[in-house]
Amino acid sequence: IAQYHIPKKQLKAETQWLIWSFSASFRGKPNLLDMGSLMIKPIQRVMKYPLLLCELRNSTPPSHPDYRALDDAFAAVKDINVNINELKRRKDLVLKYKKNDEDESLKDKLSKLNIHSISKKSKRVTNHLKILTRGESQVKDNTFNREEKLFRALEKTVRLCVKNISLCLQHIQDAMPLALQSVMDLQEISYNKDDEMGYSETLSNALNSCHDFASHLQRLILTPLSALLTLFPGPHKLIQKRYDKLLDCNSYLQRSAGEESDLAKKEYEALNAQLVEELQAFNQAARKILLNCLCSFITLLRDLMLVAQQAYSTLVPVPLSVSSISEIQNQVLEEVQNLNCVKENSATFIERKLSFEKKKPVQILPEMPRQTDIHRSKLLSTYSAEELYQAKRKCNATQEYDINLLEGELVAVIEQKDPLGSTSRWLVDTGNVKGYVYSSFLKPYNPAKMQKVDTENRFCDDDFENIKVDEQIFYAVHAFQARSDHELSLQEYQRVHILRFCDLSGNKEWWLAEAQGQKGYVPANYLGKMTYA
Amino acid sequence: MIFQPVKMLLVERDFEREYGKLQQLEEQTRKLQKDLKKSTDADLAMSKSAVKIPLDLLSNPLCEQDQDLLSMVTALDTAMKRMDAFNQEKVNQIQKTVIEPLKNFGSVFPSLNMAVKRREQALQDYRRLQAKVEKYEEKEKTGPVLAKLHQAREELRPVRENLEAKNRQLLEEMPRFYSSRLDYFQPSFESLIRAQVVYYSEMHKIFGDLTQQLDQPGHSDEQRERENEAKLSELRALSIVADD
Repeated sequence: IAQYHIPKKQLKAETQWLIWSFSASFRGKPNLLDMGSLMIKPIQRVMKYPLLLCELRNSTPPSHPDYRALDDAFAAVKDINVNINELKRRKDLVLKYKKNDEDESLKDKLSKLNIHSISKKSKRVTNHLKILTRGESQVKDNTFNREEKLFRALEKTVRLCVKNISLCLQHIQDAMPLALQSVMDLQEISYNKDDEMGYSETLSNALNSCHDFASHLQRLILTPLSALLTLFPGPHKLIQKRYDKLLDCNSYLQRSAGEESDLAKKEYEALNAQLVEELQAFNQAARKILLNCLCSFITLLRDLMLVAQQAYSTLVPVPLSVSSISEIQNQVLEEVQNLNCVKENSATFIERKLSFEKKKPVQILPEMPRQTDIHRSKLLSTYSAEELYQAKRKCNATQEYDINLLEGELVAVIEQKDPLGSTSRWLVDTGNVKGYVYSSFLKPYNPAKMQKVDTENRFCDDDFENIKVDEQIFYAVHAFQARSDHELSLQEYQRVHILRFCDLSGNKEWWLAEAQGQKGYVPANYLGKMTYA
Repeated sequence: MIFQPVKMLLVERDFEREYGKLQQLEEQTRKLQKDLKKSTDADLAMSKSAVKIPLDLLSNPLCEQDQDLLSMVTALDTAMKRMDAFNQEKVNQIQKTVIEPLKNFGSVFPSLNMAVKRREQALQDYRRLQAKVEKYEEKEKTGPVLAKLHQAREELRPVRENLEAKNRQLLEEMPRFYSSRLDYFQPSFESLIRAQVVYYSEMHKIFGDLTQQLDQPGHSDEQRERENEAKLSELRALSIVADD
């Protein structure tokens, strides 16, 4: 049939013999062709038909019944040829521009620079700027613009999908085995070894399903989308080229029509038409692929969830109601903690022993007489309005020279600082006694308004939450060693900032403290108040 | 006196065995706590990344023009957000009924270890004094020696009693501690399983409903795969793509 031009040494001996025997059987036959001649046969045939039909038509008189049919046939065959040419031209055009960017080295690029190309490029830049700044009359194609926007949006979407879905897959592959392993480990300490559970099978089944999910996802979603992604750059280049041609076209718009402007226009229109038509097809196909992949993603997830549900369902023993869990556990834990070996050696036990020894003596303050009307009127008469303040809440004296105040009691401020210069402690006069109180406890006295008890400003004795920052600095009277993550170690005389004056269960013996960026609980009786902020 | 060493050996053997089991349990609870934390963190990372998928799509102008795509992505967005919410709830449940109890159980071990350490000290004291007694017993029975022997025996007695008391206590209480783990952890195990089952059945339902809503509920994955391949070939045939 034909001789192959494949280098003989690439073929196996058997194949070589086969080929030789075939060609030998044909040698000597008259219509032996080589591969090249064989392949050109269809092209020659296609081109022959228009000529043939044309001749036939010309020699047929118009009155002949076949004339019409001949005419149509001739037109159709001519169309075929035109289409083939057009397609070939487009492919050539694309190849021409594609080759430009891929195979060039810097040297090649430099060698292409000549007057003509430089002037062409600079003209384009000028035109581009003109369009940007002045919006001059220009050739526009809305269809193209629309398709191009869609094209770009699709590319971005596909890229994001690939990235996000890959990441999600990665996380699923990390999370599921970990969860399964934890379940197995917990099962091990919850039951005796001799109880027949046979769960290792469940574990391996579930893990296999996880692997299957990953490979399906790869095949059905990531591979097609990635392949699609590689197809986008090709059209990009052509779009760019079209824009260049557009700029060329625009530059000729203002000037009179000439051979150059005609050429530019033709080139632009050809490229534009090609792109419009094919971008539409591209966008549609790309969109379909995207939709399919999203659908597959959802079904894959559904199936994975089912498998996981089934896997875990086989492990379920007799179900308990939620509320009894903590009851049971607390009971067991209590029993354990009551074991003598635990009780006698527990850290809290030792801690309590120490704290008993170190307890500070409670200060008993002398009973202070309360403010009476006489005192108040004395204050009102002695001091001016600006100096009068009212206690927002009950103030307990804690240091030397402090005084107690009840809520609503009137005081006159003598000095807005204390002997050591701190402005948060003020010297006040109650009409009865003089002493220091924290300024945050006072608000300016306004006798005109009926001072209703504002529930928002009301503080109960032990609610310290709205104290100013100054009053939350404490220091460690003794060093304290933290025994767990919840507690904070303290050095002697270390300053700490108190965030809360009780622990999570309301126990007021433990305060939440912060020091050097670390937070933790410390025993309240280890702390003393700082006198200065 | 001959039997005591044998008895001591038996006690030692039992002690090692029981304490060994507890040490292993301590290690297991500690590891499990860490692993569960890692596992729940991984779960949360997963749902966060899942939420991102439709979120990024929605912010893309593509969805604005394409009604079908928009409705699909919106439905997916709702589904992923629900997944995230359920996942968070599952993690909270695990935190409360499994991780917390593990921590609480683990907090008992320091005390136990302290008790074992003290018993160890008592054992060392006993051995030291016992050796002293034996030393005097082997010497010539002179007056001062006998006196020292008597004294040594007196010293030894309370120490031995202390040791025996500790042994008794620990040998009785260690197995109880060990067996308490069953009653303690079974509820946690059940809770963990239940949390997972609830979560996955909800997820299965959500994604099942979503597949019903989709454009082509009839198409199988294979059909979609084939269609994708066909479309890709179509694209490669386009002249503007210029596939080499």
